[in-house]
Order: sequence, then structure tokens, then C-alpha cells
Amino acid sequence: MELKAYAPGIYPRSDALVQATRDLDRGRVTQEEVDGQLERDFRELVAVQEQAGLALLSDGMLAWQDPFRPLADRSEGLDARPLTRFLDTNTFYRAVLVDGEPRLREPVPAPNLPAGKWLATLPSPHAFAQATGGEASPQALAANVLAPQIEAYALAGCALVLLADPFLAREGGVQELLSSLGELPQQTPLALQLPFGDAKLVLAQLAEAPVAAIGVDFYATSVDSLPEKYPKEIMAGVIDSRSSALESPTEIAAFVEQLAERQPAGLSLSVNGDLQFVPEPIAREKIARLGRSQTTLQEAV
Amino acid sequence: MSDVRFLTREIGSLGKPSWRVKTFAGRPLEERDFEEAERWGKRLDVDGHEELVEGLHAGSLSREQVDDWAAIYALRLLEGAGLDVVYDGEQRRTEMYDHVAAFARGFEPRGTVRSFDNKYYVKAAIVEPPSVDGPQDVEEFEFVRAHTDRAVKVPLTGAYTMEDWSYDEHYAHEGALGGSAERRYEARRRFVSDVATNVILPNVRGLAEAGAEWIQIDEPAATTKPDEVPLVVEGFNEGTRGVEAKKSMHICFSDYSALWPAVLELDDCLELQLEFANRDSRELGTHDDDRPGYAETLRLFKEHGYPNVGLGVLDIHSDFVEPAELVRDRILYAVDVLRDPERIQVNPDCGLRTRSWDVVYEKLANMVQGTRLAEHELNRAHAAPAGA
Repeated sequence: MELKAYAPGIYPRSDALVQATRDLDRGRVTQEEVDGQLERDFRELVAVQEQAGLALLSDGMLAWQDPFRPLADRSEGLDARPLTRFLDTNTFYRAVLVDGEPRLREPVPAPNLPAGKWLATLPSPHAFAQATGGEASPQALAANVLAPQIEAYALAGCALVLLADPFLAREGGVQELLSSLGELPQQTPLALQLPFGDAKLVLAQLAEAPVAAIGVDFYATSVDSLPEKYPKEIMAGVIDSRSSALESPTEIAAFVEQLAERQPAGLSLSVNGDLQFVPEPIAREKIARLGRSQTTLQEAV
Repeated sequence: MSDVRFLTREIGSLGKPSWRVKTFAGRPLEERDFEEAERWGKRLDVDGHEELVEGLHAGSLSREQVDDWAAIYALRLLEGAGLDVVYDGEQRRTEMYDHVAAFARGFEPRGTVRSFDNKYYVKAAIVEPPSVDGPQDVEEFEFVRAHTDRAVKVPLTGAYTMEDWSYDEHYAHEGALGGSAERRYEARRRFVSDVATNVILPNVRGLAEAGAEWIQIDEPAATTKPDEVPLVVEGFNEGTRGVEAKKSMHICFSDYSALWPAVLELDDCLELQLEFANRDSRELGTHDDDRPGYAETLRLFKEHGYPNVGLGVLDIHSDFVEPAELVRDRILYAVDVLRDPERIQVNPDCGLRTRSWDVVYEKLANMVQGTRLAEHELNRAHAAPAGA
């Protein structure tokens, strides 16, 4: 059995990058100096993931200020303004203001990673629409912003696009999501991740979604909530990105064996949301433990 | 019926003077820092402020002495603006969460997490049941008590906010993967209860024994998870149990509709001091349409009848100085909705730490002046002969 593991989403900045960005705001360093530290953080993160044996590499979205900002900044008709609490965390994103027909002007550049070896994380069309307060439709955002972004990533060798939707499990909206996913190009496999929410009520509805895998937060969702013989791969969120407690690979392995008994179409391991909710040294150790969990399970098989 | 008279208060933190910040950061003071110490010393008529300026120049003051001066300056600023109830602007505290987490056993710092953009905060983890050797803020209170003749209100971070802003490596760690929502809730309840009983209550009791007449429990995280508001209430009740002092709770930037009915179970809570002005129009007027930031929440106070309201009338996120007439209209509107001026007292939305002292002084002075205008209107209406 090949069990893959991934660490998608926004990764925390190192203390050095935190200080550099603070200093940038205070006019003490230049953007070039911050860019230099961003590159060092990026290389460190790649090394951590490679060492952990993760199947695909993430760039950690280190320059992304929140899950929507670069897309809003690079689109006609969208702007980023009021601070809005991200779920029940103490981290805030800027809600997306709509002042015209949304259209991606220029895609976010692809990371400098080997073709076929990396994954990208984007907001799902539904999550993006939620961030606009319903002012833009999931279909319009999918067709005019996310689709060209995914095409640009595909051309750069992206192997998997993970669509993160932190709102779906909490607030519903599966039908709106499903009707928008058809607007997205399918040449690169898509996965839908449901960070930090109990997926119990939406898993059945998502069984036929045009995505290759569903990411489930198993710190908010019980095993019993996963229907037997689920027809999609479950990207099991077994690393808690909101907790500083370090997971035991042995416990994760035991838990995944429980999950496997429910016979989903496939299983992979992941974080349950952006690792940016823990400090960088802890995130680094969590990735290492994700890798060790993967190894433990493969050895068991 | 006696004349209406509202109490004017601050909520908590003020910005720290640059000479205090640099002293603690180990950075050299510059001429403008000395000038600031002198300017505010004169403006606030601080007794002996020349000693501070000389000491700063000479570098002869200990950190404790600098803290004392910062506390005295903050007190004089609040008194000078005309407030009835004062404290020291939390000049000795690093920040409301860290102040407690760094003092109590059981919390360990974990590192930096992003708040938004390039702003970050330091977060700790609970690793064992929290405990303290004694009350934390008695000396701070006694210094304030000795340096003002105004009424004093002591702000303390609440148990629920300490829980919500911490990582949990003790209560929820085991069995978290695949665990039930009930199990998670119970873990959070035990965490809140232990902070309230083992950390907050000893401090509250110590303060009351030292003569503190008013304790304000700050719970900015109160409605972050709306289904956990009962835990906020439990934390307040356990953290103030058996204490005779006046008790109140401050909450801000939250969904207040989530507070009721749970807050009806608060034991002997004088009032909820809430942020309103941030949501309100800056236009004058006392009708519903004029006061969009107040209408909905005040109706909840009216409908439920408990507790009383600490009316936030100053937006702490803006340098806009609210005219006295705007403060007046916000108060008059609240009186009109609640139909009982005795249920209302007046304060800023929250601590004013992000504003300069110049702006703070003007805002607070206008708050006091606007309060007097509102009282005048109400007392004049009351005194007018029937049919007039």
C-alpha cells in the first residue's frame, strides 16, 4: 500500500521572517531583504518536507498574507479591505470587496519547484465567495479567477490543486460548491479540504464531487462520521495545525488503521488546516511526525 | 427622583510613553523622549516630574522607578480628562494575555503566531493545571490607591480568554484525534475552571482584601465560539466567587447576540462594558437610524433586564475625536431605549493603547463633557413642569 502524505496551506514564518516583515512595516529594512529571507524560509521548508518524505512539496505560501489576498490583489473587480476573524481563531483575513466583474489579471507566480512534484493550495470557489460576503458568486470566481490560476499552475507542473474550504463544514453550501466546481479545469487533479470543521453533515453530499480526494479534519470529525466504503480518497487530517501538542506517529498509525476499516476508496495523510496557526519550530516538527506516521503505516503494511 | 449622574471610566490599557518603552527595551533615549516626559509632566501637572526628566537624562532610574512614573502619568492623564473611575493604564503590564501567562505556573511560551498581515502575537501552552503562589496585582493596585483619590477599577484578564488564547497540551491532548465534540468541550471547561479557581480567584480575593472596590473581568474572546458563552459565565462566577467588591465584565469586538441568555447566570455582575462606537455612525441624532451601532445590542439589554450596560462611546481604533455632542446623543439614545438611566454608565469601547496620549486626552475629555451634556438634558427634561 502506498500511503502519501501532504502538508498543504499557509506555513508559519520563521522568527527571522517575522522580524523582517515587522521591520519592513517600520521602514527598517527593504523589500529585497525581506524577499531574501522569504527565499531562505522557502528552501528550509522544502528541505523539511523532503526529509519527511512527503509525496508532493508545498511552497508554504509564505508571502500570502491570508488565503484570499494575492488572488484579490491580482484580479479586476476585487479588493481586500476589512479585517475579518478566521473562524474561531485569533487570526484575521481581509474580506474581499467586490467592485466589478471579478477577473484574474495576472496569475500568482508558480513556486520554483520541480514539475510534477508539487501541490498548490487555493480557496474553493465557495470559500472565496464566502469571503466576499456573497457579493460574488462561486461560479464567477471559479470561472474567471480560480480557473486561470489553476491553468497557470498546471503549466508550471503542479501535480495537485487542493481547494481549501473552511466554511463548508460549518455553514453548509455544498450545492453552491458543486455547481461551481464544473467551471474548473480538470487536467490537474483537484482535492477539496475541509479545515477545522466537523465534516459529518457534508461528507455524504460530497461523495460525487468532481475531485479526487476530500480532506477531513479528524480533530473535529469522529471516525463514525465517515460513511462506509466512501467512494473518494480521504485525505485524513491527522496533524492538528491549531495545537502545539505534538502528535504521536504510533497513535496516528492506529487511528488510520481504524479509518481504513471503513474502506474508503483511498487514504492519504495530511494536516487538518494551515500550519500557520502554530509557531514555525512546532510546524516543522509536526511535518516530521507526519512523515514518520507515513513510514510507520507503510512498514506495518 | 434625584438628578441623573453617570459614572465615567476608562476600560484598561493606555499606550506606554516612549521613555518607558525604550527603558524596558534597553534602547537609548533621545531628546524627543525627554521632551515628551517634560511636556506631559507640565500638562498634567505631575508633582515632581522634573525628577523624572532629570533621572531619564542621567540614566539613574531603575525600571521599577520608571514604571512608577509611567503609572503616575497615566493616572494624572485620566484624572485630568475628568474621569470618575481610574486605573494606571496597565503601564506595568506587558499585554493582557502575557501578563497572566508569564506569572502563573503551568503556562509555557510556545512562539509567534500571525494575527494578520505582518502582525503577530506570542502564544503560550498550558502544560499542567495552572497555579499561583499568591495574588498577582495587589502591589499594582496599592500603588494606584495611594496615588489617586478617585474611585479605582482594576481590570483583570478573564479565565475564558486565557483558555481560548492558549494552546492546550494538558486537558485536551490525550485522545484528541477522532475525539467527540463533547470531549473537547469538557476539556475546555476544565481548563477554564482551573484558571478561574487557581489563578483569577486568588488575585481577586487578594485585591478585595487590599481594598479594591471594583474588579473588571476582561473577556474579549467571549463569543469567539458562541456555544461556549456558558463557559465564560462559569469562569466569571468561579473567578469572583464570594468576593464582595463590585464586579463587571468587559467584552469587545464580538457578536453580542450570542451573550444572552447565558449572561443572565452571571453572579452579581454589575454591568457588561461593551464596544459600541466602533459600529456606529459619527452623525448626531438620537433616533434608531442615527445610532446603528447601539440599537440592536441595547434592545438585548432592555429585553433581558440584566446586567446593566457600560456604554462604549469612543472608537478606540480611530484618531477621530468624538465631539461632546456625539457622546451626548449616544447616551441619550441609550437612555431612550432602556428607559432607565440608572442602568447606564459611560466608557470608551475598549482600552485606548493604540492611540497617542494627545488623542486619548481629547477623546476622554470630550467623553466627560458629552456625559455632562447628556445629564443636563435629562435633568432639565425631568425638572420641566408637566405639559411644558
